[in-house]
Parts: sequence; C-alpha cells; structure tokens
Amino acid sequence: MKEFLRMENMSKKFGEVYANREINLSIMEGEVHTLLGENGAGKSTLMNILTGLYQPTGGSIYLHGKKVKIDSPSKAVKLGIGMVHQHFMLVEALTVFENIILGITKDKSIFIKKDAIKNEILELADRYGLDIEIDKAITEISVGAQQRVEILKALYRGAELLILDEPTAALTDIEVEGLFKIIRKLTAENKSVIFISHKMREVLEISDRITILRTGQTIKTLTKDKTEEAELANLMIGKELVSSEYKKVMKTKENILSLEQVSFNKTSKHNGISEISLNVGKGEILGIAGVDGNGQSQLAQIVTGVIAPDSGNVILNTNKIAKFAPIDFINSNVSHIPEDRNKMGLIGNMSVRENLILKSLNKKRISAGKGLYLKRKAIALYAKEMKEKYDIRCASIDMELRNLSGGNQQKIVLARELEEEPKLLVAVHPTRGLDIGATKYVHDKMIDSRDKGCGILLISADFDEVLKLSDRIAVMFEGQVVGVYSGENPPINEISLAMSGKAK
Amino acid sequence: MEAVLNVTFFQELLLSTIRMATPILIVALAELYSERAGQVNIGLDGIMAFGALVGFLTSYITGSPYLGILAGAVGGLLINMVYAFCTITLGAEQIVYGMAINIFAPALASFIYKIYFGISSTLAQATLMKVMPIPFLSKIPVLGPVLFNHTIIVYLTYLLVPFTYLFFTKTKPGLNYRAVGEYPKAAESLGINVVRQKYIASMICGALAGIGGAYLTTCYISTYSDGVVSGRGFIALSAVIFGRWMPGGVLLAALLFGFTDALQLRFQVMSSATPYQLLAMIPYLSTLFVLAFLGIKKAGPKANGKPYFREER
Repeated sequence: MKEFLRMENMSKKFGEVYANREINLSIMEGEVHTLLGENGAGKSTLMNILTGLYQPTGGSIYLHGKKVKIDSPSKAVKLGIGMVHQHFMLVEALTVFENIILGITKDKSIFIKKDAIKNEILELADRYGLDIEIDKAITEISVGAQQRVEILKALYRGAELLILDEPTAALTDIEVEGLFKIIRKLTAENKSVIFISHKMREVLEISDRITILRTGQTIKTLTKDKTEEAELANLMIGKELVSSEYKKVMKTKENILSLEQVSFNKTSKHNGISEISLNVGKGEILGIAGVDGNGQSQLAQIVTGVIAPDSGNVILNTNKIAKFAPIDFINSNVSHIPEDRNKMGLIGNMSVRENLILKSLNKKRISAGKGLYLKRKAIALYAKEMKEKYDIRCASIDMELRNLSGGNQQKIVLARELEEEPKLLVAVHPTRGLDIGATKYVHDKMIDSRDKGCGILLISADFDEVLKLSDRIAVMFEGQVVGVYSGENPPINEISLAMSGKAK
Repeated sequence: MEAVLNVTFFQELLLSTIRMATPILIVALAELYSERAGQVNIGLDGIMAFGALVGFLTSYITGSPYLGILAGAVGGLLINMVYAFCTITLGAEQIVYGMAINIFAPALASFIYKIYFGISSTLAQATLMKVMPIPFLSKIPVLGPVLFNHTIIVYLTYLLVPFTYLFFTKTKPGLNYRAVGEYPKAAESLGINVVRQKYIASMICGALAGIGGAYLTTCYISTYSDGVVSGRGFIALSAVIFGRWMPGGVLLAALLFGFTDALQLRFQVMSSATPYQLLAMIPYLSTLFVLAFLGIKKAGPKANGKPYFREER
C-alpha cells in the first residue's frame, strides 16, 4: 500500500488554546482510517484544516509525498479531499441535483447543461451503489439519502480521500449497513476514507487502522486486528473506564405518569402520536426506543406541557391534567432534559450562573419578592456549589454558556433539572453528541435519581442507551406504541423488528 | 369627473405607473441581488439619496443625463462599500449599518449640494433624459405609448427582470450565488468564495440603488432637493418581501406601488378640496397593508442577515 496523505506536527491555536498540538497522521491508499477521540479532542479541527476551512498555526501536509498547502476549501477539493460533515452541508432550498453541481466549473458553459451532467452523476451513483432521487428537494428526502447525496457530491468532485464525520450518528441500523457497503466499494477502488466516530462496535467493524486523539494530541495509531474495545476506550479517555452495568428495577410501584389513549396530530406518521397508552412508575425508567421522528418529540412535549394533546388523558401523580402549560408541570416537579439543549435547554449567550437558576428564579434562596430582586451573592454561591457538585468544567461561572463543551453544557442542564429532586424526569436524547466520559456521568446521575424514587421517561434514538438504562422498554413506530418489553434480558431481535415497523 | 375617466386618462395612468414603478423596481432588484447573497441592506434609501445627488450634479455639470446615471451607479457603489466592509469583513450587524447608511448618505448628499450651490432659494435645473420611442412598437394604439415610449433606463430596468430570473435559475454562477445566501458554510466547503460573492452582491446592490436614485433626478424631475427619495428605498425593501425574493414577484410589487402612486397624484389633481397629504399616504398605506397580509410567512434566503466567519467554531 502506498501512502496517500501525511500530516506532520499539525498545530492549531484558537487564541491561547491549542485545539491541535503537533498531530501526526498518515493515510494509506485504499484504507479506512478511524479517528477516535472524545469531544474536544481535536478531530473536527484537524479535519477542518485538511479541508482548508481553517489555516494551521504550524505543521505540514504531504500528498503522495509532496508538500502541499491547503489554503482554501477549493484547494482541498482540487487535491481530491472531500468531506461529509456531521451537520450536512446541503442547501435545503435547492434540489439534489443542484446541490451536487454547486460550485463546479467542469465545462465552460455559463448555463447548466442539465441532461448531460445528470447522466454523468447517475452513472457515478450507480458505480458506488448510491441510491438517490436526483430531482427531489433536499427537504423531501431522508437523512440517509441526504448522506448519500453528500458522498456523491464529494465523489463527483473527484475525491480520492473521503472524510466521514460521525456518519452513523443519525442513521438506523439498516442504513449503517448500507453505508458500510458503500465504504467498502470505495476502498476497493483504492479510495481512502477517514472515519470519525465514537461507536466502538462500528469502528472495529469498518476500520483498517485507528488513530486515537486526546486533548488535541495524537496518542497512538493501532491496526484493527491488534486491538480491542477496552483498549481503545482507555486510550481515548486516558484512564481506565469502569463501564457500569446498571441494576434493573422490576417491581412496578404506583404510577407517577399515565397516558390514556393520547393523540396529537394523529394523521402524521412522523410528527404526531396516535392513541398512546403508557405508564411510568415511581423509581422506574421507561425507555422509548425507536428511530428518530416517529412521534417521540411530540410525546416528550406533551408530558412536559409544551403542547396539549388533541384527545386522551394525561394523569400526573393521580391528577388529570386539564391545562397544558410548562409552568404547571414545572410546579408539579416535572423535570425535562430537552432533545436539543441549544434550542430548548439553555441560553447560549447567557452565563453559566444565569443558566443554572433559570428555573428557580422565584425561590427565596435566589431572589427576594418572587424574582423581583435577584440575590447576587447567594446565586454566585449556589452556582459555585453546582459547579463542584456536577463537575461542570468552566473557567468561571460568568463565562458565556456557548463557549462550554457539549458535555459541560449538558451537566448544567442536569444540575438545573435534577437538583430539585424531581418526581418525573423526561429525558430526551440525554447523551446526544456527548463523549464516553460525559455519557457515563449523565447515565450515573439518571440512575441515582431513579433510585431516589424519580420516575424517568427516557426517549433516545441510541438503542444501546435505551437497553442499558431502561427497566421497561416501549417501542414507538409511526406515532404508535407497537410493543412494551421488559428491560431485563430484553428480546433484542424482537425490539429491532418492532422499531422498523415489523412487529407481529 | 366623468369627463376625465376616458381612454386618455387610463393611458396616462398606466404610463405614469410604469414610470413611477421604475425606480422602485430597480432598487428592489438591487436588494434582491443583495439578499440572495445573505446581505440584508436597509440602507437603500440612503444610497438612493446619494445616487440622486451625484447623478444630478454630473448631469448639471456635463449636461448629459446619461453620464448622470453612470455617476449615480458609481456613487451608490462607493457608498455601499462602507456597509459592505463593516458587515462582511468586520461581521457587524447588517441592520445597524444599513440604518447608518440611511442617516449618513442623505446628510452627505445635502452637504455636497450646499457646498456646490450655496444656500439659495432657487433650485438648480438640469436637463432631463429624453424618451426613446421604440420604432413601430410605440405606434400601437393605446398600449404603444404606455409601454414603448420611455427613456432607455426604463427599458433596461424591465429587461433586468427576466435577466435576473434566468441568472438565478439557469446559470451556474446564479446557483452558486444563491447558495451563499442559503448556507454560506456549505458554499465555502464547495470552493465558492463566500466573502467575494458577498462583496460582489453589495457592489451590484450599491450600483443599482444608485441608478435608482439618479433616475429620480435625471429622468423624473430635473432638480435635486433634500428628501427627493421620500421613502422609495423602504418601499423597494418591502417589494422584495412581497415579491417573495423572486424577480417576477418583485416586478408585480413594484407595479402595484407604482400604480397607487400614480393614482394618488391624479386624485390630488381631481379633488383639490382633499388635503394632498392624505392622498400622498396611499402608496405607503398600501405597502403597509400588503406587508401585513402577505409578509407574514418568511420565505427568504436562510442565512439572510447573518454575518459569516470562516473560522467560527
């Protein structure tokens, strides 16, 4: 195998902070090379340098042994480097076809020669088994299809090296299989792939070699055959990770939350729920498994009072809810870890301290006169206490929240939502985008709350997470609950089938 | 009253509509080019005022309204570079700097006028651009004089509508241009130079808005006075929203405003008893109503108004 690309002593500083520090990486032709590392380990920064979006502070890049300077994204494209970003770089207002040809000057004509280019694209798609609907708008196709468009976009630009940033994060198991098939076809044609992920199982399945990054530095490069999951995890977080198995609670106590035939926007398969009946017991975790966009968001919003159901009853702690307003749910001690912490959970431009007290402004400890006058000192004291207790890593409690890492942001949500010892916790994708360390922390805290008697409704698109935490598992498909299973020795195959709508 | 409601009246009304709609249309297209690259520019009124002065001065000195239009384009382009530099290179808030142009540019125009002509009660007059009837076509009864008896600027402005449509929907540069306004980061990752595109957009916007201003003083009235623009820039701004960021829609919007403007002028002549200020409000009121009923749904470019930084984390 010949070397395709080598990065030597790459460094990138943001202000005084090193995001990358003297990183070395070598990519062979036709290999799948995984970059493994926690959030903030410097993977994205390194890839942004490689694709010309960032300029490095130091270091050099060699392509086929020759030194190159990648000073713009168009240069990267010219050198055959293509990237599929985690958040797709697709223009929603345009069609699949238009997205693929954006920025291309292959033929000299000003006008778009639609038919000729289309054939060319379809041929390429065929060759790599990329199934696309070329005339549809981006908004009309699924996430998996959007990803195929992204891959095709890179290939159409003549990519020899394809960088896939967390490509499996939003895919179903079947779609992941499809993606892996495509990757194998690419490497068979001697194209190289950089695969970024922290799902160990997938990494070990698809990679040839694995490079581990930690705090912006290269830790080690390993061949797949000579390593195993535990070693990778330990190298990644830099210490022994004790993976915990949580005990499942089997005894069904009295219910904290019951839903009876609850419907919302019934006709919609993806944005509604249809006659759902569920119970969450005190001190129990009910996990909702299912592919994203099968009504889970609506379910979460109903049981936190954000939206009102069209029909059916919601019973919270023996009280039937008549009026749906978030404030009433908060006052009944319902906590919510929302699905998108940046949109619903936190306010990025406000400080850590302010975010921590958002829900308790009326409390005597925080303010006088029900929020009329905020007690500055008491708040600072409280914020510092939370910072210690929940291990929130920030330079100061007055730092703007958006400058914190995802894991630390989620810890702030946890501190705010769990500190009051809620009776019911609605946790939606509680560890989405978090690294192993932070994920374990969130899981431990949730189990703690459960053991203190809090009922938890866990909604997650991460099936492993649902399996790990839930005492009972309900599966949602197209707005309906298609099955409820025990969390102890769950019938995984049966649940998988139910998730894809094939339950008996 | 009945006597005036004849063919001549309607012919005159339509002719006037076309003429009144022209500056609004050209400035609305200016804004369209700007917003398609994500640059909301509310400084149109200011750019127009500056273009009006530069156009008038040039026309007054050289005696050529054509040079006046050209000078208006250059003037508008230059003044809009202040906005472009602050919002694109420095990443400042677009609304704030658009407003700054609205305050700064008319004041500068007024200042230059007073320096050149001194403070006097008589207004300097320049020659107006002559109409250029199109052979044969302008002889068509009724419609001929309405559509084909105008200055060249009017023809070019209306031709710009199909041109703009073709550019944005059928050409590669047009597609890349739109991508910058929708999702600059994606455009950048595909090798499109976002910053350059935004500058180009601001240059087109400045030049067209400057022409729109110069049109007022070289083709419409032959003098310059403070407030000559009288809010047309803002009407053009709303025409873009009303027109759903599409050239055809913008044309319709401009014609509607042109029509109400032409209508109110005729009402003023017909009923001298009504205070003219009330009638003069009609175009602005119709803008308000149209926006209130149609401007609710946001359909513009996704990244409109947002500053872009390549190395933002």
